[in-house]
Amino acid sequence: MASHTAVTTPHRQRRRVNPGRIVTILLLFGASIFMLAPILFTVSTSLRTPIESFRLPPEWIPTDPSWSNYRAVFDTIPLGTYFLNSTVVTLSVVIGQIVTAALAGYAFARLEFPARNFLFWLILATLMIPLQATIIPVFVLISEVNLADTLASLILPALASAFGTFLMRQYFMQIPDDFESAALLDGASQWEVFYSIYLPMAKGGLAVLAVLTFNGYWNEFLRPLIFLTTVDHFTLPLGLVNLQGYMGTGSVSVVMAGVVLSLLPVLVIYAIGQRYLVEGLMVGGLKG
Amino acid sequence: MSTRERRFNRRKFVFTASVGAAAASAAVGATGPASATGVARREHYAFMQDDQTLRIALNGAQVGEADEALAAGFEEQFPGSQIEFIPLQGTDWNDYFAKLLTLIASGTVPDLTTVATEGTQLFAGQGLGTPLDDYVNQDKETLQEYFADVHPSLVEAMMYEGSLYQLPFDWNAANMYFNLTALGEAGMEMPAEDWTKDDFYDLAVALSGEGGGPPFGYGWVNRLWGGWMPWIFVNGSNLLTEERAPGGEWLWDSFYSDNKAAAGRGGGWRWPEPQANVAANVEALDFMLQLLSEGVTPTAEVGGGELLQGFFTSGDVRLTPAGGFWAGGLHNAGMAPDTFDVQYFPQWKSQRHQFGTAGMVMIQDGQNKDLAWEYMKYHVSKSTMELFFADNPTTPARRSMMTEEQYATTGPSNWEVFYGTLDKFPETAPIPAPPQSNEMTAIFMSHTSQAMSGQVGAQTALDNMQRDLEELFSS
Amino acid sequence: MIEATSPAVQRPGLLGRLTEPTLSGMARRRALMGYLFILPTLLAIILFTAGPVVASFGLSFFQWNVIDPPVFVGLDNFQRLAQDERALTSFVTTGKFVVLAVGLQIIFSLLMALGVQSLQSRGLRSFFRTAYFLPLLTSAASISIVLAYMFHQNFGVINFYLGKLGIDPIPWLNSPGWALMAIVLAYVWQQIGFTFIVFTGGLTTIPKDILEAADLDGATGLRRLWTITIPLLSPTLLFVGVTGVISALQVFAEPYVMTNGGPGDSTRTVVMILYESAFSFLQIGYGSAIAVVLFAIILLVTALQFKLSSRWVFYQ
Repeated sequence: MASHTAVTTPHRQRRRVNPGRIVTILLLFGASIFMLAPILFTVSTSLRTPIESFRLPPEWIPTDPSWSNYRAVFDTIPLGTYFLNSTVVTLSVVIGQIVTAALAGYAFARLEFPARNFLFWLILATLMIPLQATIIPVFVLISEVNLADTLASLILPALASAFGTFLMRQYFMQIPDDFESAALLDGASQWEVFYSIYLPMAKGGLAVLAVLTFNGYWNEFLRPLIFLTTVDHFTLPLGLVNLQGYMGTGSVSVVMAGVVLSLLPVLVIYAIGQRYLVEGLMVGGLKG
Repeated sequence: MSTRERRFNRRKFVFTASVGAAAASAAVGATGPASATGVARREHYAFMQDDQTLRIALNGAQVGEADEALAAGFEEQFPGSQIEFIPLQGTDWNDYFAKLLTLIASGTVPDLTTVATEGTQLFAGQGLGTPLDDYVNQDKETLQEYFADVHPSLVEAMMYEGSLYQLPFDWNAANMYFNLTALGEAGMEMPAEDWTKDDFYDLAVALSGEGGGPPFGYGWVNRLWGGWMPWIFVNGSNLLTEERAPGGEWLWDSFYSDNKAAAGRGGGWRWPEPQANVAANVEALDFMLQLLSEGVTPTAEVGGGELLQGFFTSGDVRLTPAGGFWAGGLHNAGMAPDTFDVQYFPQWKSQRHQFGTAGMVMIQDGQNKDLAWEYMKYHVSKSTMELFFADNPTTPARRSMMTEEQYATTGPSNWEVFYGTLDKFPETAPIPAPPQSNEMTAIFMSHTSQAMSGQVGAQTALDNMQRDLEELFSS
Repeated sequence: MIEATSPAVQRPGLLGRLTEPTLSGMARRRALMGYLFILPTLLAIILFTAGPVVASFGLSFFQWNVIDPPVFVGLDNFQRLAQDERALTSFVTTGKFVVLAVGLQIIFSLLMALGVQSLQSRGLRSFFRTAYFLPLLTSAASISIVLAYMFHQNFGVINFYLGKLGIDPIPWLNSPGWALMAIVLAYVWQQIGFTFIVFTGGLTTIPKDILEAADLDGATGLRRLWTITIPLLSPTLLFVGVTGVISALQVFAEPYVMTNGGPGDSTRTVVMILYESAFSFLQIGYGSAIAVVLFAIILLVTALQFKLSSRWVFYQ
């Protein structure tokens, strides 16, 4: 487990001869093939002309890639506008959720107050409702406060979430109590205990929350579909469905090109997220 | 306060009051007093009032440059008006209606919306759509030219209990598409228009690969329009019993008095009873199962049909039912006009076809009804339609647009089949779509897939379908 | 913001209490801080989720077709549900789906997370993490179109390669048993990155010194996994179990796109029935009743998970 073994050289020596490691790596590679194949398939389909896209065996890496499907995407929909809208919505939601979930998660995990469990369950219970069941009342409310057809209608209701609260609560609960007593003895205030001690230790959780939230809202479909009506306000997934065409006459290859294009920004965010946050945490991590 | 807002508030009031939940009232709070006025009757709205925004819900794929151009043209013709499109994408019409109704339930009421046969009676029957009879009667002169250009079959499909609800804009019958490259490789030729179900069978078998694998001679999508419904129709049957509602003379006498094809038309279709398990339907489904077991067809696709189009394009599926909308679809998918063609569906007990048609519905709760009517007329005018149909995304309802030139770039060369379906086979009728067509379609598709997956035979599947349909029709 | 209050010890009221030095004062301070911390979340959730939920539940006692005013029908919708074979089947189908999907998801993602964490090469760790996480980044609706094509009985790559191994074409989407399996695989494939990354995050919060101490005690391999790592990871496991079950119970996009609930009703899930009733058939009240029952089931399962968790979840 304790992978980052720079400090424990003897262990590394011992592990290096362990044949189990080779098996582990092989198994992990096997799993990655299964995980990546559908994505590669999507990419390669997007690079083939529709007539060629259904050949078997599939040409996993197109020898003669055709970029016409990508051109078709740009010709069909104003990708730049959708991209910008999606970015505004997603980033606002991510920032909002990181703040609210860190605070609430910490409170539920580490602070005692009357009705704590009740309130936690109240919040948790809202996680259990399918979106399809509440979309109508939510939209009535959105129109009531004159937010229909605005990006704010997607952002405001999503600034806090039961999911994020629960996630951060669990992360905070995994951190030992001892840090707090030690810090209090050193004269730290409650806020400092939270902000300077526990929060940095839960950075891993925040990174996870950020990436998951980004991903979830980037690909969100149902709410934008109902809330937004003006094409200028559309987010990416909403715009991309236009590629499917009337009665399924859109080309599968063009649809795939759209999927790939919408995947790229999330990939970038993920690359940044994982490099700076998760990896950074492991290095600087929990020395105790 | 505008009528539109009042309608919103009435809905919210109804909603809030009925729910009676504290949280909901808190959320919707301020509507209480306002809703009292909201219940008041809608005032008549004079044409050209302050708010002249027309909200038009479209099946999303159709919102493109053509629609923008349409809107611009209208705004120019009616200065001060503004078109706001609400594009909703559905994988099929059912899905589109689901999204549209969600929107309406939430209080956003479009003035106009595209509705296809699948939903015509749903909208009319629920009182969502406005009967156009008065508008049409007032505008007889303008509309003479339009109706003269549109086949009465299409117009009749837009009627419900004697009233007209839509002006047909586009339509599609399920004809048979052929991959000519595959046909040529097999040394075969396009069949004649009076080909039979047996000719079809021989052709499909000859075009299929060995051992039950691809390529397949025939393929289809499990859906109401153009699934296995065309076989029910050419076998002289239907899923439900058919009859014509009385009425409609006002329209036929005004616009079609000298058109023989309009003789005997009524006030729209009625489908009073299910008859899923009649012998002709069992025979049709058995034929589908036979094609499946002999490796002539893959199992039916689900979804919107993009996979089927892909398989047809690549030659993996050689024959398939589709309509004029495939001309544009195949062209976009990169098929040259001479690599595919179209023919009538083969003759079985009859050669009647099934079709679906679509057009705008004027929403009953809409605000600018007079302006909406102007848009409806504008929408089906020839110049507007020519703008929209440039790439043949679907079949235009106007006969005069079916020309050599129209299909020169996209193909197919046998394009005359499209409108010919209505002329040659007067028994041709719309797919069955009573007001409860959404539930009916779900039942139809579910039992179809059960049969096609080999769990039950055709007779049992259709007996079960009949049982479920009877329950639906009795409730 | 609260930091700024430290010089205000002498001030009474809220700020004063926050910095009060006595023991009971500290408890009060912590309680107050707790309320302040949860306030934004609580407000947002009450306004935008809980309220609409209550409203939606209220509708389950009404018959409402969107167009006409709702009519109060008491428990009719629930009575109808109790006799609706199609809906009840969907609950059973969803149950089977949840067990299979969440089981596979947790087992594989835990193994993957442990495996990746044990690697020494940063490059390899990054590669695997990205590979496993990538599917989650796609939108379920779009990627399901690809998966439906890959699972195609006659044209799909999966059967193509199985054919190379001498396996006859599997009717992935065309037989009730296989179709459910295909949906499970598609769902697990997409969602596994989620549990994987949560486990990875959880593993990073396990203090290294504990593991090192275990190493010194000679606890290695499976034993260390079972006696040290998993107990330390148990809050994360609980989280994954609870959220995994909740989201699996609400599965929609995969069966909707890949099988449309078929063949027959064999892959029709509860949320599909809910969506269909409310939006396709215009029976908002009936749809709400289904939502209420689904909610009750999720609540029960979650409560049970928490109840049982006191036996195996270990908080430090």
